[in-house]
Amino acid sequence: MNPAIETHNLSKSYGEVRAVEGVSLRVERGEIYGFLGLNGAGKTTTIRALLGMIKPGAGSVKLLDQPIGPNGRGPWRQVGHMVERPSAYPELSVRENLEIARRLQKIADRGATPKAIERLGLGTYADRKAGGLSTGNLQRLGLARALLHEPELLILDEPANGLDPAGVVEIRKLLAHLTKERGMTVFMSSHILTEVDRLATRIGIIHKGHLLEELDHDQLEALRGRRLEVKTRDLAAAEETLTLAGYAAIVNEDSLYLHEDHALEAPDVIATILVEEGVPPTRLVVTQENLEDYFLRLTGGAA
Amino acid sequence: MNGFFPALWAEALKARRSKILILTTAAATILPIIDGLFMFIIKDPERAKSMGLINVKAQITAAVADWPTFFQVLLLGAAIAGAILFAFITAWVFGREHSDRTAKELLATPTRRETIVTAKLALISLWVLGITLLIFVLGLGMGAVVDIPGGSPELIRESFGTLLLISLLTLLMMPFVAFFASAGRGYLLPLGWAVLTLAAAQIMGVLGWAEWFPWAAPALLVSMDGGPAGPIPAHSLVVVLIAFLVGTMATFAWWRGSDQAR
Repeated sequence: MNPAIETHNLSKSYGEVRAVEGVSLRVERGEIYGFLGLNGAGKTTTIRALLGMIKPGAGSVKLLDQPIGPNGRGPWRQVGHMVERPSAYPELSVRENLEIARRLQKIADRGATPKAIERLGLGTYADRKAGGLSTGNLQRLGLARALLHEPELLILDEPANGLDPAGVVEIRKLLAHLTKERGMTVFMSSHILTEVDRLATRIGIIHKGHLLEELDHDQLEALRGRRLEVKTRDLAAAEETLTLAGYAAIVNEDSLYLHEDHALEAPDVIATILVEEGVPPTRLVVTQENLEDYFLRLTGGAA
Repeated sequence: MNGFFPALWAEALKARRSKILILTTAAATILPIIDGLFMFIIKDPERAKSMGLINVKAQITAAVADWPTFFQVLLLGAAIAGAILFAFITAWVFGREHSDRTAKELLATPTRRETIVTAKLALISLWVLGITLLIFVLGLGMGAVVDIPGGSPELIRESFGTLLLISLLTLLMMPFVAFFASAGRGYLLPLGWAVLTLAAAQIMGVLGWAEWFPWAAPALLVSMDGGPAGPIPAHSLVVVLIAFLVGTMATFAWWRGSDQAR
């Protein structure tokens, strides 16, 4: 089956500023693709190009096998989206905002609106004016609008923005459910790395308009650095002991770190050495570099 | 056009829930009320003074309180105020999508962008028609209440036809306002444009070039001396149509192809 999203050498400049350059993405169907980047990295520009909202300076975009034309044509019946911060007609209620979306989406089923309201937990606010909603509920309204027509492909720009921790978990579960049960493809941009780490099956990292890396979550697991963290009551003595035993121990703040394979594979040996030399460990744990560390390493610590 | 009526429904809902609908309706009532008051004062200045409507006895010798004068003032007022009022409506219908940042929700849907623009223009036309009818019906009521002489079914019919034509010619200038509301992403540019063209129309009138300036065309339908205005010249209609087509094409082209980067 052809990919859900395919861009080829996508570029876009605003005057002298190159917002996106030569971005070639490939998002397979059923994936949750996390599109990572710092603010201003080119995430929203890429998303706008995917949705035909801006004309690329160069390159092409295909969604669900259909090229996105310069006149806004695209497979929009099968695509749900939320770009940047969510917006709504402030003097209209949540229900009316969704009714407008339902009609523009050409959804005949009148039950789609109440279903979307229920799905996003907006029941209490259904008849409130959108202008009075909190940022989190406005975000839920945006997500409800994106999901109204049960799209095959969901393109979300920072979906966790403004949501409280419970809301973040709820949306994460919803997106996971939709991909698992309905086979929906999700493309989500984010700068919240933990969110992407927990949800995405594939990750693309964009930095200064360039796609630095695209990798599966499993590949990321393999690429992440591992280290053995050791804590003792006497760090200097422990460092000396381990150095004498042939390990390259690095002291950082209140811990010792060992990166060598023979240390990572046999932490019990390290524990034995330290106990025998009278500096028993108070903590001994193999930790894996998190996505944040990996991202910063890749982008040169630009955060 | 596929999706036109749902899009029109959406536009109508936005208008119904807005304060602009009440505001423009209120603004439209001012003209016939002022006109009626004007007739009331001219008809009996002493009574108007005793009622506190005027401070000094009005000395208006040129004007007479009758139906022809009443309609002349109403039509002239509609030709001038209509340009601003209709521009206000158009600026809101198109500009609000940018000021509320909702334009992006209209771009990637199965309803084509052209359909949405057409629905917006259709709503503006209906809105303008409603306001025109309100001005005329309220005008008839005011004239009847003031009890001015000189009315006839023929005069009413003719004045109604002229008012409709004035509104139509003014409406045909609105696509330019729509374009500036879209390209300017808000209200400032379209309203500035409306004021500019209104002022330019006055200058063109003074210079004697009004017939060639489309924004001056509505005023060509109103006789300044109280007599019947002649038919609008064919070349004036042509320049109006050209301006309408250029404005419409520019608006559609902008919605179809411009970067919506905000």
